[in-house]
Amino acid sequence: MAAIGTARPPVPSRPLMTFARRNALWGYLLIAPVILTLFALIAYPLGFAVWIAFTDRVVGLPGEWVGLRNFRYLIDWSSFTRAVTNTLTLVIVTGLAKLVLGLGLALIVNEQLRGRGFFRAVLLLPWAMPAFVVFLTWRVLFQPLGGGLNLLITEAGLMPFFEWVGIARTGYIDWLGERALALPSVIVATIWRGFPFWFIVLLAALQGIPGDLYEAAKLDGASRIRRFLDVTLPSIRNSIFIVVLMSSIWTANSFENIWILTQGGPSDATMILPVLSYFGLQNQRLGEAAAVSVAILPALLLMVIVTTRLIEDDE
Amino acid sequence: MVRRSDITRRSVIRGAVAGAGALAGAGGIAGMVAARKAPAVIQTGGTFTYWGGLIFSDAANSVLQSTIEEWCRSNGFEPDVVMINQNETVQRVSAAVEAGTMPDALDLGLDLALQLSSSGQLVAVDDLYETIGAAHGGWFESVANATAPERFGGSRVGIPFGASGNILFRRMDLLEEAGLTTAPATWQEVADQARAAQQPPATFGLGFSLSNVGDGNVMISIMQSYGGRIADDAGTTVMINSPETRTFLEWVQACATDGLFSPSNTTWDGAGDNAAYQAGQAVFIMNTGSVHIGLLDSDPELEEATGYSPLPDGPMGKISPLNPNIRSIPTTSSQPDAARALCEYLAMPAYSEQYYNSAIYGPVLQGERGFAIFSTEVHGALLGLVENGTAPAAPDQFNGAYAETSTTFAIPRMLQRMVVDGMSIDDTMAQAQTEIEAIYAKYV
Repeated sequence: MAAIGTARPPVPSRPLMTFARRNALWGYLLIAPVILTLFALIAYPLGFAVWIAFTDRVVGLPGEWVGLRNFRYLIDWSSFTRAVTNTLTLVIVTGLAKLVLGLGLALIVNEQLRGRGFFRAVLLLPWAMPAFVVFLTWRVLFQPLGGGLNLLITEAGLMPFFEWVGIARTGYIDWLGERALALPSVIVATIWRGFPFWFIVLLAALQGIPGDLYEAAKLDGASRIRRFLDVTLPSIRNSIFIVVLMSSIWTANSFENIWILTQGGPSDATMILPVLSYFGLQNQRLGEAAAVSVAILPALLLMVIVTTRLIEDDE
Repeated sequence: MVRRSDITRRSVIRGAVAGAGALAGAGGIAGMVAARKAPAVIQTGGTFTYWGGLIFSDAANSVLQSTIEEWCRSNGFEPDVVMINQNETVQRVSAAVEAGTMPDALDLGLDLALQLSSSGQLVAVDDLYETIGAAHGGWFESVANATAPERFGGSRVGIPFGASGNILFRRMDLLEEAGLTTAPATWQEVADQARAAQQPPATFGLGFSLSNVGDGNVMISIMQSYGGRIADDAGTTVMINSPETRTFLEWVQACATDGLFSPSNTTWDGAGDNAAYQAGQAVFIMNTGSVHIGLLDSDPELEEATGYSPLPDGPMGKISPLNPNIRSIPTTSSQPDAARALCEYLAMPAYSEQYYNSAIYGPVLQGERGFAIFSTEVHGALLGLVENGTAPAAPDQFNGAYAETSTTFAIPRMLQRMVVDGMSIDDTMAQAQTEIEAIYAKYV
């Protein structure tokens, strides 16, 4: 019996890559330009700044690796300690105040008010104005002689009261020249400039809350405060996290507010890290200047990680 | 018979005027001819970039800019003249050095020139300095000392122009009301007169900046006139903590306790003293002259009531630093020959007299001494400063550590700690000593 030959079916040629892999590669290729751009714009400058912080680089000379020397110099420098404290105070106090102010105003403007559009536009003005104009204006307002705030207090007949409590000298309050008043004054100006950003983001978040959630809460007999705590706040939590993160980074890196108002004085009362870094640049000592900026990086990084984690948990 | 002379008084005057006109015309023509001859530009073509330092006088800025542009065009270059706010020069220059985009020539202050020369960024111009000096009667000694090669690593790194320094402005009207008619000769007299003439809260005696800006560093000069020193003669060992500094601090403390300083002077920006004086809120200020220019336009009455005098003496004599500006050529200049020719051209009277007429600067060349403007009160005081002023930083050594002490405002901040925080004199000196020692340690 003749054996019946069983012809083996042809083995299909194996593709070089599976469909899934091809797809993944294609995806990587598509996002490569973005990755490269991000690397060029963010990772490289950041990495370079961190590298410089460990060198004795000055303008025009490459510098050599000096390890932690720049950081040791900073730690021994009393102005640096003051700058760290002031930067943290500025970030935390302005952040809290902007949250209260921004959220409060957003809640008000979110109601069906007459002239709501007008209020929105007006409240955005401080944010729309160039920062240096804002802070120059505040500088004029804070002038001890002939400044707007002191005129207001004098006209209101309150100056004797301020003299009695020890805030005012004879006939004037030195808002920027007194240690106790300088940082609070800068904080007020910084809040005024920054709160509209919080206001507009939180307003947008409020407008995204479905109305039926409130209706349901009302039917359940929830009071106005309960509705705020149980409906509003959870709904805008992510927006608050994002605004906290961005605003904190901006405030920690702010420069114009301090430089225009006080240059870090009096006696380091308003010294913050960016101003200290600027002093390093004035000396053309890039290593030290970079070290000041890098010193705040771990704190900002921690804040980014925590906020991102909170947002992810929420989702 | 004696023939009656045809020469009348009128004809003499007419002749004199014509002669003067001819001389002036000839001078102008000669100047123009000389100006055309001056720039020995070897290579032409392309763009010539110049960074000029903006000063308070728009007219002076305009003269500088238009002159350079005209010179460029007549020598076959496309001009690119950028006028830079002098508060931003350090940042602009630092960025340009790092990016390799420095201009072909630029105006610099001595602090920045010192920093740039230490990293080899500026061309040596010793020969050009000699040539220009020889052509215009020589350099003033104080100017020559201020820009001496030993200060800049062994070479001249720029051609001086426009000597700057502080003079004392005083409100003669308020002082006369208090029976004070002569300019104070010592710092103690300044304090005494301020105490007598001030009318707080409308007017305060001393509009002196104690803030973190350049004006605050003028306090270093007062400290030095009391014998206080930043460092020793070698410029290496810090000497802030001394009996002489103590005397100076006692003077400052007394002024603060008596309420002589203008409010907020510890946080003033660079225009703080200008603003206080022009608002009529200060009896005395120290200023380079920008206030004078401002007053001529804005308040001629206050200008009329203002007296100008040299900075007074301390117990150890007068310290009145002279800071000439310089024109430097970066080593990366693509037109170094043209830059040299331009520097030579800008030193010529045809241009420089026009410039000094509107700028608030003292002369740098002996040949400029005769310019009419230097016989006026304010410019005369600046000429006096050039003749009698002290070298930058003197008696301290003008080196990198000293420059950093200035740019970090170590002395104004020392004063802030005492005036604002109420720190004791001993603690104030001790902290400043530690802080400045840390700076000097970096330069050993």
